[in-house]
Amino acid sequence: MTLTVSTTVTEIVAAELGRAPGDLRSDTDLRAVEGADSIKVLRMVAKIEQVYGIELEDDEIFGLTTIDEVVAVVDKAIARETAGEQG
Amino acid sequence: MTVTLPWSGRADHHCFGCSPVNPAGLGLEFHDGGDHLSAEFELDKRYESYPGVVHGGILAVICDETMGNLIVMRIGVPALTTSMRTRYVGVVRVDRPYRCVARADFGKALVHTTAEILDSRDNVVATATAAYQPRRSAS
Repeated sequence: MTLTVSTTVTEIVAAELGRAPGDLRSDTDLRAVEGADSIKVLRMVAKIEQVYGIELEDDEIFGLTTIDEVVAVVDKAIARETAGEQG
Repeated sequence: MTVTLPWSGRADHHCFGCSPVNPAGLGLEFHDGGDHLSAEFELDKRYESYPGVVHGGILAVICDETMGNLIVMRIGVPALTTSMRTRYVGVVRVDRPYRCVARADFGKALVHTTAEILDSRDNVVATATAAYQPRRSAS
């Protein structure tokens, strides 16, 4: 996990949930955050995909509960994209 | 500024997405925002899926139209969609206004594009990414 990805993902998640980044820990259960719902999670995913130019698989994103887990799938997707570009 | 597509006014222009004379089409008009192309739309029940909900395939058409015509307006030739992926974030309702915004990254061969559909409060309800192969010759 990279610090930059973690910071950016936290900012995106916080913005979608209407929280300050400092309010969220990397192991916060996002489902328990007041106001969180499946639409906001999908908006968060769509924003992350746009920011990083990646595509997250549906199997990866359904079931994500913490920022740590989101960062892990983003890192994985970035690695996939990088491997693809290098042929 | 509303853009004029190269084939506007042609008798054989019956594009499902953007022809103004195709009675079954969407009749989209596009606006040039400098770094993006956008299209505003409000669809009725002819384009419905579940009751009150716009069919997701129609949203994909709108993204494809906006991204493809952005390329046309930038490089002056048609471009064929080679792949497209759509993410549906929220429900798009009939009889409500939405806006599709497309941006492009022009590479050596393929053009990579993104699009997002926004509701009246600028909430993202769908996104798309695609690749296009510009037709370099006029043949």
